[in-house]
Amino acid sequence: MYFDVGGKQVFATTGGKPFDNSKPTVIFLHGSGLDHTFWGLHSRFFAFRNYAVLVPDLPGHTNSEGPALTSIEAMGDWLNDVIEALDANDVSLVAHSQGCLVALEFASRYPDRLRSVSFIASGLATPVNDVLLNAAENDPEAAIAMMLGWGFGSAGHLHQGPIPGNSMVAGGRKVMRGNVPDALATDLKACNNYKNGVGAAEMVSGPIQVIVAGKDRMAPGKATTELIEHLSDPDVTVIARSGHMVPQEVPDQCRALLKAFIFSNNPAT
Amino acid sequence: MSRFLNFDTLSLHAGQVVDPEYGARAAPIYQTTSYVFPDTDTASSIFNLERGGHAYSRITNPTVGVLEQRIAALEGGSAAICTSSGMAATFCGITAILEQGDHIVASTQMYGGNISLMKNTLPRFGITTTFVDPTDTDGFRKAVQDNTKLIYGELIGNPGLDILDLEAIAKIGADHHIPVMIDATFNTPYLCRCFDYGANMTVHSVTKWMGGHGVAIGGAIVDGGNFDWGATDKYPTITEPYAPFTGINLWDEFGPSAFATRIRAEAMRDFGPSMSPMNAFLLLQGIETLSLRMDKHLSNTMDLLDYLSNHDQVSWVNHPSLPSHTSHELARKYLPKGAGSIVSFGVKGGREAGKAFIENVELASHLANVGDAKTLIIHPATTTHSRIDADALVAAGITEDMVRLSVGLEDVADIKADFENGFRAAKRITKK
Repeated sequence: MYFDVGGKQVFATTGGKPFDNSKPTVIFLHGSGLDHTFWGLHSRFFAFRNYAVLVPDLPGHTNSEGPALTSIEAMGDWLNDVIEALDANDVSLVAHSQGCLVALEFASRYPDRLRSVSFIASGLATPVNDVLLNAAENDPEAAIAMMLGWGFGSAGHLHQGPIPGNSMVAGGRKVMRGNVPDALATDLKACNNYKNGVGAAEMVSGPIQVIVAGKDRMAPGKATTELIEHLSDPDVTVIARSGHMVPQEVPDQCRALLKAFIFSNNPAT
Repeated sequence: MSRFLNFDTLSLHAGQVVDPEYGARAAPIYQTTSYVFPDTDTASSIFNLERGGHAYSRITNPTVGVLEQRIAALEGGSAAICTSSGMAATFCGITAILEQGDHIVASTQMYGGNISLMKNTLPRFGITTTFVDPTDTDGFRKAVQDNTKLIYGELIGNPGLDILDLEAIAKIGADHHIPVMIDATFNTPYLCRCFDYGANMTVHSVTKWMGGHGVAIGGAIVDGGNFDWGATDKYPTITEPYAPFTGINLWDEFGPSAFATRIRAEAMRDFGPSMSPMNAFLLLQGIETLSLRMDKHLSNTMDLLDYLSNHDQVSWVNHPSLPSHTSHELARKYLPKGAGSIVSFGVKGGREAGKAFIENVELASHLANVGDAKTLIIHPATTTHSRIDADALVAAGITEDMVRLSVGLEDVADIKADFENGFRAAKRITKK
């Protein structure tokens, strides 16, 4: 569906059910250069279990009007505007990678709106090396190759996706090609410039879940450990065999963890 | 593993998760109709497209799934669906997006089954086709109508072997917002990955070079994931709610694999052209050696082209690798490794001489197939293309004296010796 936020059109999928703000809400936040399709194996599950589901494309990504937002802090504010625009209630945030930084900012500044936060494959910061930053602006295909190459673990590179016939890597490449150079380059700069992770993490309250990818090369162990150390009593699970793209590489495990956590902390009737 | 795997590696490994129970290295043959669900929630999730998994082998099967993911990986596509035959793949691809009143622009040089489907069968269901000479690229643009929803062709035309100018055809599609579907059977992804040149879907008869051993019929349709279905309202089967699945919007929810998902959700369920697990297993064995076989097909082809071109019983030889072929430059562009292993040639003395040639070779098998490990020959005018009318025969570039040769993997000296027997018989006919 499309809706207006600050005079700009925002696109979001709703998991195959109309968005009903009388129900508890689950919002899924995608990572750099990606879009709503990243969450296809999760959004529909919650929508058909009596949750209002929202999977927005960040501004300037795929179907949402641009330009892309230039800072993580601005993305956090934009998320609050989205929630206000839809009058969404009892929000469980589920975020991946860059989306986790947005979730940190939002959760630290708008705690009253949240019932729970799930961080998947994230650190407190996401420093981006100069080669990738440069490629994102000047050689998008190379940037996409780096991100998908590092992002996916063995299951992705061996095209062992969970949906019969589908290639996760190829699907990701097609989505990212639609979001280069502007959205991807802007996202990566925003990640690289984000320095408020520690402060934000220490402000997050309520139920917190952290899902760690054991073979994550985008948010390696040290970064994830720092995140966990600065969060208040998070529920931490490590999925040993997954690369960074947890929701796509091991969707069944990821969904089971999200289900248990969200059903417990933000139950739908 | 942090780098993309290369073609030969993907040919061996893509799509397969090593059997977790017994550690079987080869992909097991899951010869089963159906699958025990661990609980009702999982069952409903699979039926509602909330998660991957298998419910019934008409729709998906684990062995077939390995083959599908391997083909998608080799093609660089977002998804692939395997079918009972190449024609089933073509039919499923067309019916996923076209409906009564819609129109196709297609090449004249195609497998006879493709031509018959579009010329005779689809019109009964209100879908019409304008056929265009594959060398007349601008003719494709001129043939586009308001109701055109698909451009279709074979990269290497059958049997004239003219090469489509794929980039130019893809641009016509993009300019009019019409997807381009390419039958890539003759090239396989080893010789050309059509998505790199702008095609939006490919179809394959994997019976041919992909399987390569002449033991199993099968097809595949690959979604390039690179067509923006949502840019117009011309493709409601992809962008509008699909009632049988609780009004799912495939474009919104599946994005780059929306087209493939439509085929899975509709064609595999409603038409049921599923590939058997046994066939998928056999075809997987073939794909493991695809590049090795193609290289040998190509080297034998080049050797035979030289032999035939210099043979006094041969009136003409046709192959895009020959500088005399009208598509030679396009072949160099799109098929730099080689332009496939189909050769057509004329035997001096016309129809009777050609018949004598075919009946007097022994190694080369006279049959209606291509892409086998074994060398195959046939007379198209009386067999594969016999059911199309005279005008279409001419348009397809088929002559009475044409012999179509599918070059196999035998020692090329033995193929030549076998052909000598055929040519001697043809010469005797000519002298009478």
